[in-house]
This record gives sequence, C-alpha cells and structure tokens, in this order.
Amino acid sequence: MQHAFSFARARQRSRRPPAGQLPVRLMGSQDQASSPERLVAMLRRVAAFQDRQAFQELFAHFAPRIKAYLVRGGTASQQAEDLAQEAMLAVWRKAAQFDSNRASAATWIFTIARNLRIDMHRRERHPRFDPADPFFMPDSPDPADSALQTRQREHQLRKAIQALPPDQFRIVMLSFFSEKPHSQIAAELDIPLGTVKSRIRLAMMRLKTLLGDES
Amino acid sequence: MTIRHHPKDSLRLAYVAGQMDPATALIMATHLSLCAQCRAAAADDECIGGALLEGAEPMPLRSDALARVMARLGAPEAIHRTEPSADGTPAPLRAFLGHELSCVRWRRLGPRLGYVTLYRRGSLAMRLLRGAPGTEVGQHTHRGAEYTVVLRGGYSDESGNYGPGDFQIASADLTHNPVADVGEDCINLAVTDGGLQFRSRVQNVVASLFGF
Repeated sequence: MQHAFSFARARQRSRRPPAGQLPVRLMGSQDQASSPERLVAMLRRVAAFQDRQAFQELFAHFAPRIKAYLVRGGTASQQAEDLAQEAMLAVWRKAAQFDSNRASAATWIFTIARNLRIDMHRRERHPRFDPADPFFMPDSPDPADSALQTRQREHQLRKAIQALPPDQFRIVMLSFFSEKPHSQIAAELDIPLGTVKSRIRLAMMRLKTLLGDES
Repeated sequence: MTIRHHPKDSLRLAYVAGQMDPATALIMATHLSLCAQCRAAAADDECIGGALLEGAEPMPLRSDALARVMARLGAPEAIHRTEPSADGTPAPLRAFLGHELSCVRWRRLGPRLGYVTLYRRGSLAMRLLRGAPGTEVGQHTHRGAEYTVVLRGGYSDESGNYGPGDFQIASADLTHNPVADVGEDCINLAVTDGGLQFRSRVQNVVASLFGF
C-alpha cells in the first residue's frame, strides 16, 4: 500500500489549524503501470525510439498530476490544462535530456512543469542553472551506482516527507506548490512570516535527520 | 574551492520551487554553479517537488487532451550542452551577461572600485562589483536584504571572510565595512533590496548619484 498526499484535503485544512493528523490518504495499491522504474523505462523508450505508446502511458500518469500541481498553486483551471499539455510536449521533446542518475521521472517532470509555470508569469528570461554543466565535477564516478543511489534517496525522501508533522508538511507543500511568496503564505495561514520560515527550516532539518545526513 | 557560507534552506527552497525574482534567482543559480554542497541539497529539494507531484491527487484533463498533444508531437530536441567557460564564469551568469566575466566593461566608482548594474526592478538592484586588493567599501547598513556571491578574490567584514563561491546574506540590521582581500581583485555579484545607507555623508551622496 502506498500513501499519497491529498491536496484537496490539505487545502480544506489550510484555513484551520491541523487536527493533528497528516494530510495524507490512501490511494490504494499503486498499479504496476506507474511504478517509478516503469516510468523511467517509458521515458527511455520515448528518448530512444520516440515511442508513442510509452508517451501515452507517461501522459496518463503525469498530465493529471501536473494539472493538479498547477491548480493547487493558484493557476486557473483552463491555463493549468494548457500548461499540463505543454509540459507533456516538453517531456516528449526533451526526453533525451532525462538522466536517471540524477532524478526520478517525477522529479524531472516536476522541474519541467515548474519552469513552464515560471515562464508563464515572467516576460523576462529567468536565470536557471544547468545541472549538466560540464564545469561541475560528477558527484559519483560510477553511473550505475548513482542511478541506484538516486532511487534509494528519492524513496527515503518520500518516506521522510510523509513522516513530517502536519504543520511542517503543509508549509513544505505550500512552498512548492503555491505561486505566492512566503510572506503571502504567512498571511493566508494567519501566522507570522518568521513562523513560516522557521517551520520550513524545521522541516528541512527534520528531512535531513530522517535521511541520516546532518552535513 | 572550500565554500563556507551558504544560502539558507528557505532561500534555496524558494529557488527550487520557482518563486523567486530573476535577480535573486540568478545569484542563487550562480552560487549553485559554484557549490557542490548546495547543488546536492537543491537536488534533494527537487526530489521533494517530485514526490509532491507524484502524490498529487490527479485532476482529469479534457477528454481530447491526449489526442491534441499526440497530434502536436514533433521532432525531439537535440541534447543541449553548456559550452565550458574560457575564464570560469559560472554558466547562469554568462548566459545573463551574454559573455564572459573578463569581457565586462566596468564603470568606475573612484580609482579602486568598479561596478555594472545588471538589473533593476523597483527597489531591487543587481550589480557586479569589483574592488582592487585592500579596497574598503566604507561602513554601511542596508535598507533591505543584500545577497552577495563572490566570483573572484575575496573580502572580509565584521561577520567573517568570504572567498570564491561564498554567499553572504546581509540583513537590514547588519552594519559592515567590506574590505577586499589582498592578492587579486575581488569581483562579486550582489543583489540589494532597498539600497545602501553609508555612515559617511559624502559616500551617501556619491552612492545616491550612482544609484546605489
């Protein structure tokens, strides 16, 4: 059984203080089709063969999640629909850039959706840092190792996020999904800006502890 | 390169989540280019974003969405490779400038200080600053936050020593007098929100004339 975060529920609660429960719900056992390994394999097929069937599977899995991510962040439904479609087109075009040593399919697609959302809001070109910059030293010399490490780390992180106290979880979620700066999140939750920042800090510290690295 | 001063978690998170003005985003991207530790932390942050995306309760698209997208599938993009910089200019900064750091045309601010304003929106300003070895900026405080990342050389102030890649967060309550380290010129990228307030009245006049 897998837990999944329910944004609908978290949103309802965001006006009231938490009842001491995690805003998670059971989504039922995840089907074989959408396991992280399977999604990586589908992305590879799109990259290598422009496999349309693999793309359809990615679309079925990710497009409704991208739309949810955007709507949750305050994008109007119609615009979220269009952006989700654009994001999936970008997945098709950029599939060869996906590197499973660096990230899972979900993480990579998160960055695509995020960049599209930034571009939608800004006329100016937005500076971005290129993780494939040859200037950087590779973190791990063995790609086979780093793919496995990435998977394990993502798995640990997911578990760690689910183990966060509800107020910290909500702040982390809002900082990722809301288009609003921290000051507006504070106003919306009716808590001081300092509290938002300290909850983020606590949440990040807790995630680090749960991951077992304090460095 | 040993980097000892890093941006706070909340700042890095805002960058990864995509909620940052372009100036602060550029200074963050520049620091990330130089700092392996923050790159790893940012990769973890993105992974949180991925986990949240994965966990989002799916929202159905219109029934014709897949067909519309399938009809538009075109040729895949060639893999883009960032060209290595000739003089070690961090890639995001080079992309913003359109050239390497060594090609910057500095404006003089006295015999030992140079600057270029790269961006200005409201109270926010981003500049490249260059000080000859030993140059003192002068005792000043800030009307708002100031972020600085060191690109070349280094400087010291009341809060410590900053070398290449270091990221200084000077809040409005910090009064400092940065002094460029001896050796080579110190080159920084700085974002200020609200400008500087010098102790010296002459410096304040000069600063306001130059738009600092």
